[in-house]
Order: sequence, then C-alpha cells, then structure tokens
Amino acid sequence: MVDTTKNTQIYSTYGRKMAKPVNPNVAGKMLSKAKRPLLVVGSEIVDNEQIIEKIVAMAKKGIPVAATGHSITALVNKDIGAKYINIHSLGTFLGDKNWTGLDGQGPYDTVVFLGHKKYYLDQVLSGIKNFTDLKALAIERHYMQNATLSFGNLKPEVHVEALAELVENL
Amino acid sequence: MSDIEAGKFSIDELENVQITIGKIVGAIEKKAEEEGIEVGPTPKPGISGLRDWDYKLLSRYQPVYTPVCDQCCYCTFGKCDLTGNKEGACGINMEAHQARETLLRVITGTAAHSAHGRHILHHLIDKYGRDKPIDVGPSNLIAPNTQAVTGIRPETLGDLEEVMDYVEEQVNQLLATIHAGQEGAAIDFESKILHGGMLDHVGMEVSDLAQMSCLGMPKAETDTPLVEIGMGCIDPQKPVLVVIGHNVSGVTYIMDYIHDHDLDDKIELAGLCCTALDMTRYQAEKGGQPHAKIIGTLAKELKMIRSGVPDVIVVDEQCVRADVLDEAKKLSIPVITTNEKIMYGLPNRSNDSAAEIIEDLSTFKDPGALILNFDTLGEVAPELAIKMSKIRDDMGITALPSDEELQELSEKCVQCGACELDCPVNLPIMAAMKDGVDKDFRKFEELHDLCIGCGRCDQACPKDIPVLNMIEKASQKLISEEKGIVRAGRGQISDPEIREEGVNLVLGTTPGIIAMVGCSNYPNGTKDLYKVADEMLKRNYIVVMSGCSAMDLGMYKNEDGETLYEKYPAKFLAGNLINVGSCVSNSHITGTAIKVAAIFAQRNVTGNYEEIADYITNRIGAVGVAWGAYSQKAVAIGSGCNRLGIPVIVGPHGSKYRRALIGKPYDEAAWKVYDARDGSEMPIPSAPEFLLTTAESIEELFPMLAKNCIRPSDNSMGRMIKLTHYMELSQKYLGHMPEDWYRFVRTETDLPLAKREELLKILEAEHGWEVDWKRKKIISGPAMKADVSAQPTNVKRLCKGEC
Ligand code: SF4
Ligand code: SF4
Ligand code: SF4
Repeated sequence: MVDTTKNTQIYSTYGRKMAKPVNPNVAGKMLSKAKRPLLVVGSEIVDNEQIIEKIVAMAKKGIPVAATGHSITALVNKDIGAKYINIHSLGTFLGDKNWTGLDGQGPYDTVVFLGHKKYYLDQVLSGIKNFTDLKALAIERHYMQNATLSFGNLKPEVHVEALAELVENL
Repeated sequence: MSDIEAGKFSIDELENVQITIGKIVGAIEKKAEEEGIEVGPTPKPGISGLRDWDYKLLSRYQPVYTPVCDQCCYCTFGKCDLTGNKEGACGINMEAHQARETLLRVITGTAAHSAHGRHILHHLIDKYGRDKPIDVGPSNLIAPNTQAVTGIRPETLGDLEEVMDYVEEQVNQLLATIHAGQEGAAIDFESKILHGGMLDHVGMEVSDLAQMSCLGMPKAETDTPLVEIGMGCIDPQKPVLVVIGHNVSGVTYIMDYIHDHDLDDKIELAGLCCTALDMTRYQAEKGGQPHAKIIGTLAKELKMIRSGVPDVIVVDEQCVRADVLDEAKKLSIPVITTNEKIMYGLPNRSNDSAAEIIEDLSTFKDPGALILNFDTLGEVAPELAIKMSKIRDDMGITALPSDEELQELSEKCVQCGACELDCPVNLPIMAAMKDGVDKDFRKFEELHDLCIGCGRCDQACPKDIPVLNMIEKASQKLISEEKGIVRAGRGQISDPEIREEGVNLVLGTTPGIIAMVGCSNYPNGTKDLYKVADEMLKRNYIVVMSGCSAMDLGMYKNEDGETLYEKYPAKFLAGNLINVGSCVSNSHITGTAIKVAAIFAQRNVTGNYEEIADYITNRIGAVGVAWGAYSQKAVAIGSGCNRLGIPVIVGPHGSKYRRALIGKPYDEAAWKVYDARDGSEMPIPSAPEFLLTTAESIEELFPMLAKNCIRPSDNSMGRMIKLTHYMELSQKYLGHMPEDWYRFVRTETDLPLAKREELLKILEAEHGWEVDWKRKKIISGPAMKADVSAQPTNVKRLCKGEC
C-alpha cells in the first residue's frame, strides 16, 4: 500500500482549513460512494501516458471527466466522453445551484482533480473551499492544501502507483 | 456658473499683486460650450459616477474569488479567519475582503502609472513650460481616455495637470475605502475596482502624451525603427551601462551626454523593462540616435546582474527588483538610484559634483548613490561606467561558476525538492542536478527559457546551492545567441488609420484585435507569445503589443530568420503587428477603441464614458491578453479595459490575482441587450463570456481568443469569419469541434461557407433546428435573430423614446 499522507509541505498560501492527507484506498472508496462525482483533468497530463491510462480507467468505472486547458487533446480518442471546459469557469459554475453540469444531469457533489499546474489549481480550489459545499479531492503529485482531501507531495513514480491503487478501490 | 475665468489677473491699484484662479466648478462645461462641444453626463465622475454602468457589467460578469490567503490581517482585531465566507471582527466577509484586496492592487497599479505620469509631467513642464503643445501625430482626438473620462480636451502640457489632479484625488478617495471599517459590499468594491482601472488609463495616457510631445518619440508612425533586443546583443568588452525601470526622464540625460560626448560607439547602453522600450523611442523622430539596446524584461534582471556584465546600474521606478543593490554589490557594480520611489538606503548625492560622486563610487566608498539631479546623473552614469569597466576588469571579477564548479554544486544536491516546491513554475530542478553530477548540463539549459529569474530556488535550498547561477552558466551559449528585433513603440493609432479600418472592425470583417500586453510571468517560457501572435496574425487579426510582451515577442525568429516585427507591417489594419510602446502606451489600446466609437460612429466622447463603453462592449471585437501578468499595474490595466467592456485573459499565474469576472453562458436571462431603435430586448451570444479570466495553456487560449472576439453587432460576414476561426482553432489546438459553436449562429449565412451544408445537418440532427434544404435556409432554431441594422445597447436611456 502506498502512503500518500506524509509530505504536506505547502509553499505560498495559507488558511486555517487545510486539506486532510488521504491514502489512495480511502480516496478510492470515497469516490465510489459519491453520488455525482466529476473528475477534472488538467493539461499536465498531456504526454504522460501512465496518467492518461489511469484517467481512462477511472472514467470507465463511471466517473464523468471534465477536461480543462488542452487536456482534451489527450482524451478525444479514448471514448470516455470527456468534455472541455475552462477550469476557472468550471470552478465558478460548480458553486452555482442552477448549473446542471456538463451533461445537464444536475450539480456535482464530489470533484476530483488530477494533472493540473499546482499554483493554478490551488487558486481554483481556494474558491471552491471558500464559496461552495463541494467535497474536493486532490489526487495530484503535490499536496493541495485547499482541497478537502489531498495526497501529500509525491515522487512521480509513487504518484502513478498511488493512482493505480485508487483505481483498484473504485 | 461663475463668469470668472481661470488664469492670472493683476489688479491695477495693487501693484505686484497677482491672483491665480485655478479650477472653477463648471469650467469644463463652459469651455466646451464656447467651443461648441457637447458634454456628456459624467465629466470627471466621482466614485459613484459610473456605478450604474458597473452594476450592469457586474450583473452579467459576476466576480469570482479565489483567495490566496483565507485570513485577513488588516487590523489589530485580527488576524481573522474568513474561511467559508465567514465574517471578521470588523464585519467584513471573505467576498468583500477579496474585492477589497483587488481594489488595493488596482489602485496600487494606478498610482504607479499616474505617479509616473505626474513625475514626468512636472519634469517636462519644468523643461518645456506649461504651454508646450501636446503633439501625438495626425489626430484630432488626441487624448481619448482623458476626454471620455474627464471631459477635458488637453492641448498643452499645462492642461494635463488638471487631469492629473482629478486622477490623484480619485485614487485617494478609493484608497480611503480600503481602510478597515469602510465599504462592506463586495459589489461596491467591484465598482471601485473598475473606477480605479479607468483612472489608470487616464494616468497612463497623460504619461505618454507628455513624453511623446517633448522627447521626440514616434507619433502614430507606422514605420518606427527596428531595434536590437536580448542579452546576446550586449558587447561585454565595452563598458556596459544598464538602466532598469519605467520612467525614462533621467535616462534621456544619460543618452544626451553619451551622444554629445561622442561616446556612442564606446559604451554599451542597454535597458531592462519599459525604460528600455522608451529609450528606443527617445528622439526616434530625429533618426533614432543615440541607440540603446533592450536586454529584456523583469525576468532577465537578476540574470543580467548575475552575469557580472554591467559596469554600472541605474534604476528609476516600477518593476525594479528590490535586491538590485545587494546583488550588484557582490559583483562590485555601483548602483545609481534616480527616483524617490526607489532609494535603497543610498546617500543623496544630488547636490554633489559629478567628479566627487564618480570618485566615491569607483573607490567603493559607497556601493551606490541617489542622484535626483539629472544633469549630474547624465554625466556620472556613463563616465562611471567607463571607469568601472577597467577597474572591474582589473579586479578579474568572474560572476558565474566554472564547469567544474557546476559539477561540484550538482553533487551537493540532496534531492530534497525544496527548490522545486518553491519555484513559482515548479521547474524540474532536481533532475538537472542529477544529470549535472555526470557533467551533463543540458537540463539546466532547458530550464533557461522557462525560468522567470526570480531567485526563489536559491533562497529555498538548504544546501545554499546557487541554482539560478547554474542555469545561467549552463545556458551561456544560448544566451550569447539571444538576439532579437523589436519594432520601437509607435504611440497612438491615428484618426486617419481608424477611418480606414474602423468599418471592418465594427462590422466584424476584421476578425478582431488581440492586444498582448503585460509582464513576463509566463507559465511556459517566452516562446508562447510568439506562437500566439504568429497564429493570430496569419489569421488576419490585428495584433497589438506593449510593454514586456512587446519585447519578448521579438526574441523569436521564423524559419526565414525573421522576427514577426520584420515579417508583418505595423499599420492599424487586419493582419498587422503593432507595438504601441511601453506600459503607459497601453492607454493607446483603449484609446483606439474609444476613437473607433468617436470617429466611426460619431459618438460624443467628452465626459460620455458610459455611452462609449456601451458602444465598445457591443461592437468592438477586442480581447486583451496579459499572458505573463504579475504586477499590480497589470491588474489595473485589465480593470480599465474591463470597464470599457473589453475582456482580458491572463495566464494561469493570473489566478493569483484572486478575482475573475466570469459570465454564465447557460443563464439565458443574462445575455440580452436592448435594441436602441425601439427599446425592445434582444438575445445576444455569450461572447465575450468573461471580462477577466485565466487560461491554462496557449492551446486553450487560442479558441478563447477567437470566440471572445464575437460581438452582438457582427454582420453575417463578420460572424462567419469569427466563427470559422473559432472552430478551426478549437480543432487545431484542442482536437475537437467546440461544443457551443451553434449558440453563435443566427442564420445560415453565419456559417462557414465551406462547411455550411455539413453544419446545417448537425444543427438539424443534434440540435433540432428546422432547415429548408431546397433553399439551404434555417427556418427555426437560433436563439438570436440576425438584424444588421439593430443597435445593441445595455443602456436603456439610449433607446428611442427613453430619456
Ligand atoms: S480588518 Fe476586519 S477582517 Fe481584517 S483583521 Fe481586522 S477585523 Fe479582521
Ligand atoms: S529562479 Fe527560475 S528556477 Fe529558480 S525558482 Fe525562480 S523560476 Fe524557478
Ligand atoms: S533545494 Fe537544493 S538540495 Fe534540495 S533539491 Fe533543490 S537544489 Fe537540491
């Protein structure tokens, strides 16, 4: 089992409410229990085959995928129905009760983030943390202190291993 | 209204008594009346003067807050934890506090520009007198921002003083609202943000009008000289004098001294940041002599200093690193400060002779000097550089580590990751260190363009490894080849140019204006700017550059060895590439939009901001891009664009501004305007979708640019062109057809010609639209109607029958 709860060093932002470190098995179970999860994928996944593979696996287990930045380029041919959206807009719409989601099926309750620029996602998460009731799960390689739950700072190989474990627990 | 006039009066019986009467209430209106000019409803608006307009914008584009810190640390009640939009001890909540923070940021930027404007204006009035006419080239509307906001039509330098008085008073009022225990509503902070942004463009305009008029800068010229840029174009064998900052006032004395003393070929004069851009504009009218070279942006400051190449550094104001003196001291480079905004604790030598100062600095009695007397500065800086060059050569100063040291330093690395976490761009430094142990320094070289030269890695490293120096050392070859070309800033777009191009812009047949402005905090290196400009120019957009972005754009060459400045002409025409100038020249970009409204649509500009902004919002397809925005000035510039209805996209780092203005395309009620012909409501497309937002990568940026150039008043030809680019760019860079393209279709003629039939089929099959296939016409489906003669407006009073 991979321990993803260790290094939770942060670098610039601060708040009293910090993400709880989470292990992949727990994250996986939590995701499976979510009523309406959304996996939000960022541009850092492009060219990272191992991560793309994990995203596809998660999508195949029924989690809808929002592709931000140009991450959609890596997912268009994967037959997982990923939809492009700008992440700043997404962060905004997520907090709006009138938004019916990317598929018109209604609002989401749990958002999972993977493959984003650390400093950019941190800001989006800060908006979500302060202005919505959503559960935000960061399964990034870096500790995202503004999420509800997050992996700690990981080496790339450990990150991939952690994701694999998460997928197994879905 | 008073009959007393402004000016100087002598009273006959009282000899030697002179009374000066300054501003008189109603003076603008009276002057305008005499000149037969109509004055709009809001000359010199106060904080609440344009609040209704702001509320209109903000009802569609709602503020989105992403706090950098969840606490407020303003007062001694606190720190207060505002997480989850909680209230602090003073009662302010997170939303309002974030808006307040943004306001502070905006007025800091506005103050930086307008204080620069005030400084240069004082200086030039001292030199040339109040009556010196303002000269911007072939334009009647010479100060569009100033006139729209204040109602003043300045003709002389003296007239600009009154404009500055207004800006300063307003900034002060805005600043007061930041104080704990004042404004509590986020939306009113928002309106104040827009107010501050508007003032910024006035302050910038004053700055540039003054310097253009007095310093021989190009005046709406299209064919300005091409100048060298890059660390590689500096000849380190000569004495090197480097100036850093944004205010060229003092630097012109140095340039004159160099020229008058025949030192042009004997000294390298180079600049960083906007001072450098303005140096290349100085006396360009007279053939561009003496020459100055541009090193680059803020990102190059530390790299340049640490290279050890400068023999003397002169700083003025804004975007100058706080550690210039400390860094320079380590390499025996004297620093001269020339502006009260940056004094670095140095002794004030303004009243001493040049000889004395040179003696003291060259013997290292002091590490630098504050010189506010520009005549002295003009002599000290170049003479000291000549002297220091020899002294520093003799001292054998070597700045960067040797190859052996590079390897030794790599070995010291314990792979702790602290540098990577602290690096604003999270660059892979550890991997470079790993390879460095085996004397393979290629990974350091790869970091060079991506690195923004902040030096945080050095500070973070527990082993005191000078990471930035290692990157620079490993990149020496790259740096020596860093030689580009920039077209010197041209100043305003002239009235005749607007007349020629305005109609295409308004009808939408020129697909749009992309204004790439701002600083160098790019997510992925400088080349991205080149890629964006290149793509959009090929597609016939007008691309306008300014400030650091204008510089960085010149760093790349195409396969024919040309920079984009060499490849594309610089008129205000579709497919042209324009460098307006330094940061303060950004006012000419908004000024152009105002001019289009004034000249092409015959709108009254004077004190008529709301109507002009409304016109621009609905008709002019312009999008601002501040891809590397980092400073308070950048957010002020953006906010000024926003109040005029011009959307701005910043790079991912821009999310740290902690606020965006984003519309909701699915909220149909928000996307409506009035038709001014009869006041009826008409649905409009959700473009621009935002007034301020971020993009993650340039691939995402491309379709965002095209889409957000769409405006309600596009005619079919224009909409078709814009839509074609939107679809093509989306396919090219995101690999798919955009989901929402059909929302922008009003009639079959809006559809790209080559794909019309195919798209009609999709509209029928996937969106349930009715199509008459015989005539290939859309019968029903679109939310909007196509009506070229409609007059979209957000302002009810502008509708016929309303008042
Ligand atoms: S200004 Fe208000 S919110 Fe901020 S620290 Fe003081 S009491 Fe708390
Ligand atoms: S100097 Fe360069 S490598 Fe170092 S922290 Fe700054 S951006 Fe990163
Ligand atoms: S902080 Fe220093 S020791 Fe740690 S990884 Fe970076 S260079 Fe190596």
